[in-house]
Amino acid sequence: MLNEDKLKLMTGIAMFEKREGRRIFPVQRYFRGDYISRHLFRSFFSYTLCAVLVVLIWILYNSEKLLNTMNLDDMIGAAKGGMLFYLAGLFIYLIITYRIYGKRYEDARRGMRVYLAKLKRLEKRYEFQNRTRELTKGGS
Amino acid sequence: MIVLLEIREQLKSFYEKHAVIVNGIIKGLLGFVTLSLMNGNIGYMGRLKAPLMVTMLSVLCAFLPYGGISFLMAALMVAHIYTVSFELALITAVMLIMLALLYYGFQPQDSYWLLLMPVAFMLKIPYVVPLLAGLAGGLLSVIPVSCGVVVYYILMYVKQNAGLLTNDESVDITQKYVQLIRSVIANQTMFMMIAAFAAAILMVYLIHNLSLDYSWIIAIILGIIVELAAVFLGDFIFDLSVPAGELIMGILASLVIAVIYHFFVFAIDYTRTENIQFEDDDYVYYVKAVPKIVVTRPDVKVKRINNPAKARQR
Repeated sequence: MLNEDKLKLMTGIAMFEKREGRRIFPVQRYFRGDYISRHLFRSFFSYTLCAVLVVLIWILYNSEKLLNTMNLDDMIGAAKGGMLFYLAGLFIYLIITYRIYGKRYEDARRGMRVYLAKLKRLEKRYEFQNRTRELTKGGS
Repeated sequence: MIVLLEIREQLKSFYEKHAVIVNGIIKGLLGFVTLSLMNGNIGYMGRLKAPLMVTMLSVLCAFLPYGGISFLMAALMVAHIYTVSFELALITAVMLIMLALLYYGFQPQDSYWLLLMPVAFMLKIPYVVPLLAGLAGGLLSVIPVSCGVVVYYILMYVKQNAGLLTNDESVDITQKYVQLIRSVIANQTMFMMIAAFAAAILMVYLIHNLSLDYSWIIAIILGIIVELAAVFLGDFIFDLSVPAGELIMGILASLVIAVIYHFFVFAIDYTRTENIQFEDDDYVYYVKAVPKIVVTRPDVKVKRINNPAKARQR
């Protein structure tokens, strides 16, 4: 037999899953440290790739100068400057990543708590149902 | 006012019932408008301009998420530019890849600002985008909006210099890069626009979060003022001319669009019909959850405004 308030509870949970699930469940598979470091790792690679692209464009932009006046000292100086820029940018970018994903992890944990509370209510509903079933069986 | 509210309620109930179709149509239209504008302005690759191609791509857009539409449009744009100049296509592609890697790793759902910005520019109403971004998005939408401005100025550069870019085989390839990067980066109007829009987004975002009555309309108006001030400042200090008639018309149109958009879209919660599926020990449930239509608070407010007026007449 269909049970109306159990249905309501289950509908509520299913809608919550549908709306928030994508935000919550992938995050909850990790510990906080693992989750954040995974994203830091990814950020590091994408930032480095971007830096390589920038260097590529820079070389194209300066190719004439570079070809005409090949000077080792200048090139080393430029490389040092570029490296400094790269490291500073990387540092800032990683800090931003850390903060964003730290916050996301907290949000997901809060969402998970809500989800678990909903599930617990459903579980109680089941217990209640089972108990009444047993009672009626015993009574008959 | 009551008529408007009624229209709004009707739109809302229509959306609640047909959300999937409405969303698809909006995306398809966005795709179509973007494609048409792109073909009209920098349509150098003939194959992409064919009506059948445009129709098919628009239909495809209806089924893609916004990120997918942005990606598709970016690819088409690079293809068009590539027909004119390999070098510029390379620079544009690098810029877009960097944006995708550095920003959309965090906020993949924000990509429509990047798309809307050049579209709004071509429709001569660029001033509306920062207003909407400030109201709907957050402070971070400064990044995609700014990149949208850059994309638009690259497109304009391609459009204005198409003949030059294709025919200058005599020019050394290294000089070509120097020239291109200089003309794209050293565009003061572009930087003025970016600054104006960033200031406007900041203004709108900060004001509309205040707990004032009508904070959103104050935010829109102040945002417009900030944009105007920034443009005038640029005009004054750097001697950058923005055509006055176009500016005023664009600002007015942007104001109207922002107000309309706010009235119909932000003010109410567009909850929609959800189709969900779950099961327990005995059954599998396919549930269609339809939101109840309740009288929204603005309706009540309107009645209150009208009543004292009637009382006075009596």
